[in-house]
Amino acid sequence: MHLLEVNNLTKRFGGLIAVNNVSFNINEGEIVGIIGPNGAGKTTLFNLISGFLKPTSGTVKFKDENITGLAPHKIVNKGIARTFQVVRPFRHLPVIANVMISMKSPRGARKIEWLKTHERKALDLLEDVGLSELMLEPAENVGHGDLKRLEMARALATEPDLLMLDEPFGGLNPLETDFLTKSILRMHLDEPSRGIVIVEHKLYALMKIAQRVVVLHQGEKIADGKPEEIAKNKRVIEVYMGKEM
Amino acid sequence: MITAYLKRAYSSFAAHVFDVPPRLLAFLLFVLHLVLPVAKPDPFIQLTVFDIFFLAAFAASWDLLVGRSGQISLGHALFFGIGGYTTGILSVNLGLAPWITIPLAVLVGVSASLLIGLPCSRVKGPYLALVTMALPLILVQLFKLDLLLPITGGEAGVGILLPIIPSAFFRMLGFGSRDAIRAVALATYYFALFLVFAASVILYKIANSKTGMVFVSILDDELASKACGINVTRYKLMALAISSLFAALIGAIRGHFATIVSPGRFLDLTVSFAPVMVAFLGGIGTIYGPLIGAYIYYTLDRFVLQKMTQIPFLAFTDWEHVRFLIFAVIVIVLVIKWPRGIARFVTDKLHDLEEARDLDERGKWIWKTYKKRKKKE
Ligand SMILES: Nc1ncnc2c1ncn2[C@@H]1O[C@H](COP(=O)(O)OP(=O)(O)O)[C@@H](O)[C@H]1O
Ligand SMILES: [Mg+2]
Repeated sequence: MHLLEVNNLTKRFGGLIAVNNVSFNINEGEIVGIIGPNGAGKTTLFNLISGFLKPTSGTVKFKDENITGLAPHKIVNKGIARTFQVVRPFRHLPVIANVMISMKSPRGARKIEWLKTHERKALDLLEDVGLSELMLEPAENVGHGDLKRLEMARALATEPDLLMLDEPFGGLNPLETDFLTKSILRMHLDEPSRGIVIVEHKLYALMKIAQRVVVLHQGEKIADGKPEEIAKNKRVIEVYMGKEM
Repeated sequence: MITAYLKRAYSSFAAHVFDVPPRLLAFLLFVLHLVLPVAKPDPFIQLTVFDIFFLAAFAASWDLLVGRSGQISLGHALFFGIGGYTTGILSVNLGLAPWITIPLAVLVGVSASLLIGLPCSRVKGPYLALVTMALPLILVQLFKLDLLLPITGGEAGVGILLPIIPSAFFRMLGFGSRDAIRAVALATYYFALFLVFAASVILYKIANSKTGMVFVSILDDELASKACGINVTRYKLMALAISSLFAALIGAIRGHFATIVSPGRFLDLTVSFAPVMVAFLGGIGTIYGPLIGAYIYYTLDRFVLQKMTQIPFLAFTDWEHVRFLIFAVIVIVLVIKWPRGIARFVTDKLHDLEEARDLDERGKWIWKTYKKRKKKE
């Protein structure tokens, strides 16, 4: 049984086909990268899986249950959490409260009573992503790199079985990128059964983390395999021709 | 030994009350109003204070909905009016006691809010604002229909509502009839003071609870809130229900206090806009800001604007509305000067003085928890 099964997923915006007949699977404990040039349909694919957009056709199955078209908050409570490519903090709330919102969801509240208080759980998460120093700062005063990590802490606070990160490295400097890579790997060790999907538009950023890479181009899946294979894939090289990979 | 005990009691009290400006403010005002009828038995001032308190609590209920959950209501008079009219109609026509009709009024107010909220909270856009603004005006027209006139009293309103505390109660205790009337006035004052004060404190507590944080998250970014697994529709309805509960409660008590429930005092546009203005003036989203706004509003109104009616060429027949217009202009000017409201302006200054961390009141309890945790470790 796969953790996530995406079958023939299609999304049209008027005449534009943003996602075209895409199918792939994610297994438990797998880290999968999704790459593709800008406009390839990666974010749209995320929106379809997480319920923020309804697919034109096709299905999404999570743990053998059809979740196509469910409301976003219901999908989160089934165990799929996502981050946004363009950060969406709750700017009036302090950093720690941003994380605690997720714990007010039924799923995020699950482990709280017998493990710890909301504050403790939130603090632990912030420590994991390296934000505990900023916990009381209203999110509107927090820099972009830190907000990227806040996005991740907030998603993690819902206790997901599948974590989907939309360009988590976007706009980060090398130091921050390195830190985030390490946090993701550490998180993978802590919670080995959790599936992780990472969207990136460049392949090299994923080489170190991803066990498998899916390549999208103009809404279609053009390759699916180990990172080393993808790097040598003719079709992929063609698509990325002239561009840095 | 007793002094040591008192000292400890005082310091713990001081630590809890004096360190947070809104609490200090609430405490001082509460004490002030507690002693007011004794210290200054001037009925005019007492009535003004009363109006201030009712408006402050009413505006706080509006602020929880709009300033915290981001759902805009431009017609909070709807819930206030439903509260007043329900208790009025029931107590006048059926002779039911206030302790039955007030809870019923609250029930009707909350039910109405849910009926309106269910369709409105599912769609984006200004629907709630429009519906709440239109409905009080529709109600006024409905109440003028021949069919309903005997029950609602049309333009004149429903009256006379039974007093919350009957004078018979004091006569039973052996008061003379004149003393009993005075005792009733005093008892009613304290009853309303406690209730309105309690309502404001509860609203403040809710706003700063974890549920209140979820309201703010919806205000900030509804989509991100959904991505956190929050059932946004449910929380929006909850904010609306809580807000209308308090609005209806305050309206109902106001009705009994005023003895007559009329469209002009309970459903008029000015009734809807007053909380909006004082909230903006005091600081939207603070819950306690409207209290400051209400003070400024009524001080200006009773001691400046009403004096102006005595100037001959200013004696408009519709002075009520003209006065409101003047005040609206004043508020707009003040809000441009202090867009975050006067309450925040003052607390910011206090924070600067104490060199305290620049924390929003929402973050304060987290800070406190953090300090507690540090202490334990
Ligand atoms: N809500 C929308 N309405 C219309 N077109 C959209 C919408 N969202 C995305 N698109 C289009 O779909 C295509 C894929 O976009 P997106 O999924 O954001 O790409 P990526 O994340 O891979 O850069 C783009 O051409 C984009 O313009
Ligand atoms: Mg994208």
